[in-house]
Amino acid sequence: MKLAGFGLGLRTPHYEAMLNESHPIDWLEVITENYLVPGGKPLDYLERIRERFPLVMHGVSLSIGSTDPLDADYLHQVRALARRIEPHWISDHLCWTGIEGRNLHDLLPLPYTEEALTSIVARVGQVQDALGRQLLLENVSSYLTYHSSEMSEWEFVSEVARRADCALLLDVNNIYVSSVNHGFDALKYLQAMPADRIRQIHLAGHSDLGGHLIDTHDHPIVEPVWNLYCAAVELFGSVPTMIERDDNIPDLSELVAELNIARQLSHRHTQAAA
Amino acid sequence: MQQSAMPLRQLQQELQRHLLGEPSTISGAIVDAPPLSAAERLGIYSNAYRVRLIDALRDTHPMLHAVLGDEVFAALGEGFVAAHPSVHRSIRWYGAELAEYLGRTTPYDGQPILAELAQLEWTLAEVFDAPDAEPVTRAALTAVDPAAWNELRFKFHPSLRQLQLCWNTAAVWQALKRDAAPPEPLRAPNPASWVLWRQHLQNYFRSMANDEAAALAAALQGASFGEICAALAESLSEEQIPLRAASLLGLWADSGIIVDIR
Repeated sequence: MKLAGFGLGLRTPHYEAMLNESHPIDWLEVITENYLVPGGKPLDYLERIRERFPLVMHGVSLSIGSTDPLDADYLHQVRALARRIEPHWISDHLCWTGIEGRNLHDLLPLPYTEEALTSIVARVGQVQDALGRQLLLENVSSYLTYHSSEMSEWEFVSEVARRADCALLLDVNNIYVSSVNHGFDALKYLQAMPADRIRQIHLAGHSDLGGHLIDTHDHPIVEPVWNLYCAAVELFGSVPTMIERDDNIPDLSELVAELNIARQLSHRHTQAAA
Repeated sequence: MQQSAMPLRQLQQELQRHLLGEPSTISGAIVDAPPLSAAERLGIYSNAYRVRLIDALRDTHPMLHAVLGDEVFAALGEGFVAAHPSVHRSIRWYGAELAEYLGRTTPYDGQPILAELAQLEWTLAEVFDAPDAEPVTRAALTAVDPAAWNELRFKFHPSLRQLQLCWNTAAVWQALKRDAAPPEPLRAPNPASWVLWRQHLQNYFRSMANDEAAALAAALQGASFGEICAALAESLSEEQIPLRAASLLGLWADSGIIVDIR
């Protein structure tokens, strides 16, 4: 069955509400690493929640852009979890998280170079083989760029997807955050994306530090991000869309109300594009 | 100042060194353009790196955080993060060495209960998501042929942990858990043995008398019921042993910590 509609990121404070309340939520995204544990409550809840909602898995430590070898043990664990919870797809980030065996637990930006492209394309191939399925890669928010970059971020993202034959998870908020931090045109970024590879959209709030933005996922979604989302729907059609909230987490009903805005905007702009 | 392009490996080494607080040449590789300078851009990542790891320590050690308060906990976190880069895929496993760090670092080593509190909280986190296993019921235990008892061996729940605590650490933890004022740190005349486990997805811990601690330690090492009784002989008279051994096994079964008998 094809996944469609509007979802949320599953967070611990909402476990009980997800099981006991009824909300218009079509599917849930779970953070892969939170469930790479031997047993206990997290996996118990996940097993029960997946009886009510279709799931997708979203990782934070694949480190596809690292120059360390891929972590075979990690991939094995991700595959085992996927066998257990049968997600519609598995995603992670187009970034690196550490080298030399260290993990910096951050989504660190890559230089947009032919060297990085070649390395990542080969690694995506290995990951897709190891997982036995196509991977979705997400564009990250960034606060720095490198002199060595040879192309724009949007060219880099598109080329990775095309050459590696992977899919994309488009984070509209990340595009907006980076566009402010680096002074590029967010709409131009969107227009450069390969429409046929976009499987999922992320929406989120961020923090405005006056002049630059930090991707904190602790606020409601702001107007310019909604506008960009409308443009994305007009370009890519009705793509499965969800809201990420990681801090300052409100009641589930509040997030559902925000998700309903996405639903309405998507409906309106799909019709506008038709 | 712009310099010639670094290979990807070197670029990652230099940025990682910068984030770990080591000498690095990364700043020359970073674009310095409005709205932020290269130094400010790097600063966002350096700050996020430390804050994220300190947050993870706080999540796993909520009562230690309550005892120390935001400011002291943050200072502790800064020191620990600088000394212990993460080697874990999941941030869940970051902080195993915090108890040991508290025990050997001034000024925390002046309050040994802090290290014990960290040890208790880390152990509780291990109990929380240890592997699942189906417990053996008391009824299954009583159904065993009495003739077979002497050679019977036991397998325990994977969440089971034992701790030796010298201070009133558990009482402090329990008070803080209830949002009550913790008792003053107090060193016990003798270290006490504690057992921690998970039953029906809930964490539990309690102290053990010396004879139970000896019996459980023996059983965990694979001792037979007969050998467990022999371990009890160190603190009990011969006629007390069978009753005490049976009562301990019943208690363990009711706690859900026995998962197999052979």
